[in-house]
Amino acid sequence: MKWKRFADFILTHAVLIVVCLIFFFPILWLVLASFSRTGSIYDLSGFFPKAFSLSGYQTLFTDTQMYDYPNWLKNTLFVAVLSSLLGTILVILTAYTISRFQFRTRKVLMKSTLVLSMFPSFMGMTAVYLLMVNFGLINQLWSLVLIYASGAPMGYLVQKGYFDSISSSVFEAARLDGASNFTIFRKIALPLSKPIIVYTALTQFAWPWSDFILPNLLLKNKDLWTVAVGLMHLDETQFTRFAAGSIFIAVPIVILYFCLSGFLVTGVTAGAAKE
Amino acid sequence: MKQIIRMTALALALLLLCAGCGRGSSAPTGAGTAPVGPSEPIVLHILENDTAKAEGYLDALIAAFNEAYAGKGIQAVDANMDEYTDLALNGPYGYGPDVLYQANDQLMKYAEDRHILPLAIEELDCYESTPEAAWDAFRLSVDGSVYFCGVPVNIQEPMLFYREDMMPENWQAEWDDDQNGTADFFENWCDLYAYSASIRESDPARYGFMASLNNLYLASPFMLSYGSYIFGEKDGAVDPSDVGFSAGNAVNGLSALRQFAALMNEGCIDDTITLNRYEKLADGSYFCTVSTPDTYSLFVGNLANHYMGEGMGEDEARARAEANLKMIELPAKMPADGDLSQDSAGAQWVDTVVMGGVNGYGISSYTKHREACMEFVDFATGYEMIQTRVEMLGIAPTRQDVAQVSGDTADMIFDSLASGRICLMPSVKAVDQIWTPTQTVMGDVAKDPFRAAQGEPQKYGTTEALQAALETIDKNVYDAIHTLAG
Repeated sequence: MKWKRFADFILTHAVLIVVCLIFFFPILWLVLASFSRTGSIYDLSGFFPKAFSLSGYQTLFTDTQMYDYPNWLKNTLFVAVLSSLLGTILVILTAYTISRFQFRTRKVLMKSTLVLSMFPSFMGMTAVYLLMVNFGLINQLWSLVLIYASGAPMGYLVQKGYFDSISSSVFEAARLDGASNFTIFRKIALPLSKPIIVYTALTQFAWPWSDFILPNLLLKNKDLWTVAVGLMHLDETQFTRFAAGSIFIAVPIVILYFCLSGFLVTGVTAGAAKE
Repeated sequence: MKQIIRMTALALALLLLCAGCGRGSSAPTGAGTAPVGPSEPIVLHILENDTAKAEGYLDALIAAFNEAYAGKGIQAVDANMDEYTDLALNGPYGYGPDVLYQANDQLMKYAEDRHILPLAIEELDCYESTPEAAWDAFRLSVDGSVYFCGVPVNIQEPMLFYREDMMPENWQAEWDDDQNGTADFFENWCDLYAYSASIRESDPARYGFMASLNNLYLASPFMLSYGSYIFGEKDGAVDPSDVGFSAGNAVNGLSALRQFAALMNEGCIDDTITLNRYEKLADGSYFCTVSTPDTYSLFVGNLANHYMGEGMGEDEARARAEANLKMIELPAKMPADGDLSQDSAGAQWVDTVVMGGVNGYGISSYTKHREACMEFVDFATGYEMIQTRVEMLGIAPTRQDVAQVSGDTADMIFDSLASGRICLMPSVKAVDQIWTPTQTVMGDVAKDPFRAAQGEPQKYGTTEALQAALETIDKNVYDAIHTLAG
């Protein structure tokens, strides 16, 4: 028996280590490439650069004549934060409404959104471009915010599932005490939904933060580019700068994750109601 | 009361939203700029290439223009867009530049679809001093009438870049049979092949001449030196229905390409060498490679970095790199039978023909300030600005009065153009369709020497197979233009 447990332990850990290495190696390679001194992807001794320096990161923030990374970062932050705020509000409201209220077109709405969400978003790019042209929203960071936020409620199903899992007796009790719909949502549903709100905010932030297709379509001026668009336009000889930019773009996401991970706990509703 | 507060809040929110989405700074950036009032200056959005921007030329040009036209109410600004921004996509909606600097094939592609304006070139200062061949790159024939849709600035061709310190020590004795002071391997392709082979023999990790052989522009000597052509001519105009990559003895060139590939590595099959040439030339892995003159500063920068890695100071490294890096034309003679391995002493030759291009300014059809754009183009192609451009960017100018005083490279390229050694990229939209079919076949032929190592049979061991490959290019280009493109 001990033998079996030991073999299981070894096998499990060996598989986990191999999987970790497979996933970790490209990241390690990119991190080391971002410290390459020459800036070229071809300055490699085997897998890793021959000489290291911080010049990739230094030029990323100081040499802004052609590639203004700090400005790209600022634009990306603007779009991602506002999209996250607006998108989260819209998704939570949609999910709560579909979960808690019975109305005539509820089923039709649910089926329609399910079918529509199966079409890839880039299918409508030409239409989006023409719409934005007619609304005068080309070269506007706000146009991205509106598109990301307005598209967000299409993915309400996860949040709806969460609201479905909250016991209806909590809401009924509030209703008996005379609370209005808005009060129930504000004072009962929201405090019980911190994990899903945090999850929604994170996903609503991450998508605009790394999206390339939409900003590339709508932002013509270089000083409005987001990080993803800017990095894609780097010259072929700027690989170290590209690697450094790619690494640095992960920093806000990681900080955000660590700041909000405390809220990502389950079982908040446990004991909220006596059955 | 609550209802009123709610309605007011909603109205305010909508108002804020509308304010955020208003035109503001997002008003069309270029050609669609709304009409300005009488007291406001006309603002022209200028799209230049990245090199001009990086080296500070665009700033100098804009500053000089704005100073000269301060009293005339015209102001130039950087269009601040990607250098390859699509005028056809953005121009009609008012988001393109007013004036753009592009290669002749790109500008003329726009011209065919009416995205750029025909110009009254006779009014320009550069008209007399620019040769007819350069103007022809921007000539458009429509219903028997001839229009010029661009103003030439500089001419480009693939050039050979090498490190002087990697020349053999005894090259005057061993590699200069005609004792003319130029190494034979810079004069003919047989000796370049022989020297490349000797480098490989002495050190398998080092290479002689290296190029992406799938790239029609960079490997054009192999495709255009033997009587082939891109498009024929009909009634004095380019005829895209006549595709001629397989014409003449083109098969000899493709055979030479296959032969040279054997001295390279598998990077020659795709874009690898185009991407790593700066680094590999700097670290001594390649003796020479091919690129365009505007990449000179990249080669120098990489070589200087290499020297700094060896402990040299920045200024010293830069000076040494500039002294050591040489840029010359590709060898002028190719073996008539395409056999690079023969002794150059008894070889019959044909002239090397390379593909070239003319870069210049065009004016967007969507600009609201045609006259002002013309003023800008006239200023930017004037003697002083072209002279400044030559000094800052090292280009080969099309203005002959500047070329005469600017040095060897311009003279060299002009001589080649005059003698027919440069085949200019055809200025028709159809030229867009030549790149992929040629890339596919050239890459496949270049792969042939490496097939044996992978246990595959070689595909192009016979003249018939090579000729069939060339005919496939012709057919695919024709189909792409006339069938697939509708």
